[in-house]
Amino acid sequence: MVNENIVKIAKARRLARKTAKFSLESVYSFLNGVGLYANRTGETFFWILKGQIPLKSTMSQMVEMGWRSFPIILLTSFFTGMVLALQVGTSTANLFNEPVYVGTILGFSLVLELGPVLTAVVVAGRVGAAITAEIGTMKVTEQLDALYTLGTNPVKYLAVPRFVSCILMLPLLTVFANIIGIYGGLIVTVHSWDVSPAVYWGDVLDFMEIGTFLHGFIKSFFFAFIIVSIACHKGFSTEGGAEGVGKATTSSVMTSLVLVLVSDYFLSALLMALGID
Amino acid sequence: MIKVQGLCKQFGLKRVLRDVNLEVKDGETIVIIGQSGTGKSILLKNIVGLIKPTSGSIFIDNVDITKCSKTELRESQKKMGYVFQESALFDSLTIEENVAFGLRTLTDLDEDEIKKRVMQCLDMVGLKNVEGLKPSELSGGMKKRAGLARAIAYQPKNIFYDEPTTGLDPIMTDVISDLIISLRKHLKITSIVVTHDMKSAYKIADRIIMLYKGEVVFNGTPEETRRTDNAVVRQFVEGSSRGPIETDRTFREME
Repeated sequence: MVNENIVKIAKARRLARKTAKFSLESVYSFLNGVGLYANRTGETFFWILKGQIPLKSTMSQMVEMGWRSFPIILLTSFFTGMVLALQVGTSTANLFNEPVYVGTILGFSLVLELGPVLTAVVVAGRVGAAITAEIGTMKVTEQLDALYTLGTNPVKYLAVPRFVSCILMLPLLTVFANIIGIYGGLIVTVHSWDVSPAVYWGDVLDFMEIGTFLHGFIKSFFFAFIIVSIACHKGFSTEGGAEGVGKATTSSVMTSLVLVLVSDYFLSALLMALGID
Repeated sequence: MIKVQGLCKQFGLKRVLRDVNLEVKDGETIVIIGQSGTGKSILLKNIVGLIKPTSGSIFIDNVDITKCSKTELRESQKKMGYVFQESALFDSLTIEENVAFGLRTLTDLDEDEIKKRVMQCLDMVGLKNVEGLKPSELSGGMKKRAGLARAIAYQPKNIFYDEPTTGLDPIMTDVISDLIISLRKHLKITSIVVTHDMKSAYKIADRIIMLYKGEVVFNGTPEETRRTDNAVVRQFVEGSSRGPIETDRTFREME
């Protein structure tokens, strides 16, 4: 009986020691990751501010991120606009016996929130994943080391063009997403609710100010920064072959999405406090 | 001249290199042999500056690259070429662009000269009509030779080869060995070659160094290597599973 108790106590101590060690390692690993992220992002900004931007590579990244993401942005925002018009029209018809302010509600929803956030989600899934997978594969196949031996800084060569392209293209895609979404809403409003286009456009534009547009536009710059900085960092930190690339890519997309959604609240609150809404 | 003094490298608690000392004179070719996982590639990566040593110094032409400024390190890099174990060709670029990469970043040659040099280098490693292909379209051996062409294209003073003949057929292995000898003979290139291929090692080496458990256990000419009484070296060059080198216990037990 005494022996059994001693064994149980020893097991409990071992478990406690392991748990404490695991927690410490997790904290250390997290802090190390944050440090590396800050270091790489700082280095990227250093090269950008120094004007050392590889133009050819930046242009091809802009085409890849902007032009090749456009069809999926077109589809998602068009249908988002359509479903918004359907839902708003139905709700207002139930409440007021007729669909009112469909354009106003739809315009505000899209320009303030849905346009920037949906575009960021699509770009995080498409562009962020591609960036991490590409840089991660280069890391595990020693291509980053090869760049270094050929006198090229991997951050300058790979991260800088992607940073510049993403920060320019995501806000542009957001503007297109807003416009396409509003047109999607127009089709449903005109055909399903028999509201004339003039009334719809009046609803959309009457209450919209430059601050409304700026609110979403400014947020999209921050979302672009989050997506591209996380994607590059996860790529450069990839370890362990094909499995490592898969894990890094999943982690990149998930981290970007969570940070975009969390930061959306705080950015919105900050912009509202500054009177940009 | 390349000089390594008291080099130690530790990953966490694992000590990979322990007090490694070696000196390679200009134009000399040394071959590093040793079991897989004994720290040969780590030693090469320390010398080119890809990995920072835990302690010790590495001098490239009297510049300590472990302590020098970034500018000095970049100047040293221009003198170094590296042939990677798995080629490490850039997937997104064609073979021509891969070979030209170092010429564009490290030299002032114009595009015509670059094209001419690329063709010369591809010809030297026995690759023809592959300039427009992507690395994924080449066989393993062809990739290896393209990687070699990339490393020699900008004519560095020192070239580091990480298993340059692994995966090549015997004839191509001999071609690569001849190429390393020819680079030393005509361009006075200093080479450090990591290999398991003893036939190639005997052919190209001025000196052979053996690493065992992260330490240099032998340093001698190919002739001295053939005649040595060092049991560790004997077991390795003879490729025997019996001897002082610890092999996998499970396999022994199965015997």
